[in-house]
Amino acid sequence: MRGPARLFSPITDHVSLITVMSFAERMLKIDRRIIFLVIGLCTLLPLLYPVGLPIKISSEVRGVYDHIESLPEGATLVLSLDFDPASKPELYPQAIALLRHAFKKNLRVIALTLWVSGTGMAEQIVTQVAKELGKETGKDYTFLGWSPGGQAVIINMGQDLYSAFPSDYSGKPTKGLPVLEGVRNLKDITYLVSLGAGRPGVEEWYVFGKDKYKFEMGGGCTGVMAPGLYPLLRSGQINGLIGGLRGAAEYESLIDQKGKAVAGMDAQSATHVAIIVLVIICNLFYFSMRQQKSVGQG
Amino acid sequence: MIFLRRQLPIIITLITGLLFAGQYYVPHPASEQMLTSATKWMQIIGGFALILGVTSLFHQHAVKIGRQEAGWGYSLVLYVAMLGTIAVGLWANGKESVDGAMTAFGWVYNFMMVPLQGTMFAILAFFIASAAYRSFRARSREAAVLLVAAVIVMMGRVPLGEYLIPLSGDLSSWILNVLNSSVRRAILIGVSLGAIALSFKIIFGVERSYLGGGKE
Amino acid sequence: MDATVFGAWVATGLTLLIFSFLYKDTPLFKFAEHLYVGVSIGYTIVKTYDTVIMHLIVKPIVENGEFALLIPVAIGMLMLTRYVPKAAWMSRYAFAFIVGMGSGLAIPRTISSFILKQVEDTIRPLLSMAGPDGLTFSMNLLNPASNLNAIIILLGVSSVLFYFFFSIEHSGVGKAVARTGIMFLMIAFGAAFGYTVMARMSLLIGRLTDLIEFSDASYGRPTLWLVVVTIGVLVVLSRRAQREPPQES
Repeated sequence: MRGPARLFSPITDHVSLITVMSFAERMLKIDRRIIFLVIGLCTLLPLLYPVGLPIKISSEVRGVYDHIESLPEGATLVLSLDFDPASKPELYPQAIALLRHAFKKNLRVIALTLWVSGTGMAEQIVTQVAKELGKETGKDYTFLGWSPGGQAVIINMGQDLYSAFPSDYSGKPTKGLPVLEGVRNLKDITYLVSLGAGRPGVEEWYVFGKDKYKFEMGGGCTGVMAPGLYPLLRSGQINGLIGGLRGAAEYESLIDQKGKAVAGMDAQSATHVAIIVLVIICNLFYFSMRQQKSVGQG
Repeated sequence: MIFLRRQLPIIITLITGLLFAGQYYVPHPASEQMLTSATKWMQIIGGFALILGVTSLFHQHAVKIGRQEAGWGYSLVLYVAMLGTIAVGLWANGKESVDGAMTAFGWVYNFMMVPLQGTMFAILAFFIASAAYRSFRARSREAAVLLVAAVIVMMGRVPLGEYLIPLSGDLSSWILNVLNSSVRRAILIGVSLGAIALSFKIIFGVERSYLGGGKE
Repeated sequence: MDATVFGAWVATGLTLLIFSFLYKDTPLFKFAEHLYVGVSIGYTIVKTYDTVIMHLIVKPIVENGEFALLIPVAIGMLMLTRYVPKAAWMSRYAFAFIVGMGSGLAIPRTISSFILKQVEDTIRPLLSMAGPDGLTFSMNLLNPASNLNAIIILLGVSSVLFYFFFSIEHSGVGKAVARTGIMFLMIAFGAAFGYTVMARMSLLIGRLTDLIEFSDASYGRPTLWLVVVTIGVLVVLSRRAQREPPQES
């Protein structure tokens, strides 16, 4: 039996090689809707049946939290909500968590947006959290609304806040608002956090704001932008960075008020693992195909 | 006329450019007052620029409807949606809510614009997964390095990844804070140098493409 | 029907219309796409009218007599001459002002923020002073400010800048430096890819969270009903497409 088996083995090997090759090729060309389904299920199932894995706090997020924690009561926080509905899932929970923290610390909050399409959402976020914590508009906080010009608004606020925003979102004159007492321009604020989804965002607030008006500043951003802001973090130009949904989940954990970001972390885990598995499978098939080709050529 | 059409705009750019670059180094009250006024002007001009940007779509779709070109029905949907939003917006004085109560404009924003824009970007999740499966291959040493870094960061930034491979959290943090920072810093310095060079070219009239519009 | 409940139905329906693109580019998606553009333009126009015309121009002029604001209004109007072919050249004054001022404002601030500050942080002391005893060298990789990491950052910044900026032929030592730069770049691109995946998945999580919320009985379960309707419409459209003879190209 040993003889014929040896005799036939190259043929059987070749047949199996062809089978493997075509299988690998077929697998690499599967209908993309199958991958869509896998990703859809990996997102949906953990949202329906959460596990609640613990979330480790990074030094980047802690930077913003610790600074707000160190501020005295009545200090002014400018919160610039520079995003639109396209980035809502990442930046909305960040804004909610930051505002909850600021209001609990009894800071005076000056909120605004530099993104026209984010105005409605920004107003809703500020009003919702203020209502939840019993804060009064004009006294404890103000929402200035939106103004066009991006960098021009930042510089104008740095020169004269009342020139950039003569009235707040509701149309009330900003001059004389108790929440703005002692604040003439950006030089008089204690801390600024920009939650940015692009331009204008964190970088513009630094270049056209902090560079000249010297206030302390932190940032929050989408996952896509986060790696690009690390140089500013390392050089101390911003003292903390909340990156994406993960950053929001960390902040929610820090203030001990878990919300949408923490709830989304299980789904985030599942989708990441799914993509890693897909990449590994893709490479296994790719290498098996390459091996077959080199064997075939040899 | 050639002076008015060609040279005067370049002179305006030169003067405003040098004036506002120099202003940074002259903190005299008069200089600061000029900056305050000019940036206020820029806010107003920025509003007009925004209108110019969005209304360029008007003409394009109006032509489509007028000629009843293929897909003109969709252009009609666009027009109806736009005019409807403007109507409810003006009716609500441009406010999404008044004293905490949602206006019709707020309703259009919350229940139409937010889900539409949000979902438009959310579907990218599926395509990035499909692209990763089809083309994220270790074809070379460089591609393999990229792939390994991506996998470490993907693992290290989610609780399950940190739970399965505890080291991945610290490793991804090091990649982001040190290796990624150094590269992004080099890119930031390079891009900034390029932007400054371009700004000087604009101010001194070497780069004029921004003038565009109209016959010479 | 309550406005919020009706809103939940509309929001769910529009979300599903866009998701239908995952199956195929159908008229459902095209409808939602154009609706989105229309609503966005309308929203921007209303907000610009309310903020710029009413709050930044009319109110200050009428209430405080700030007539100097008519100057930017005139510049803004010049911009709109782009729509009149014969007068379009006049828009150049507006663009000249904006671009000139923008460039002037950006030059010193960019030098200060992104060049000087970034270079300053890159060229850090490679040894630290530790108490009265003298110099130390910290090797802790997990501390981004450690001396070892300072050297790695210096190496990364220099090699990447060398790779991008020196157009001389990369050979000998230059080749080694450029190769190092490429490796650093690949790692950063990998990190960027990882974060992009994270961001995209977060957006999907956000939309699905809303759909789950709208599957609640208090809204009349729009998600469940509308998923069935959307699938039904897609099946009908697919069948109709199969029945139609293929168009000649």
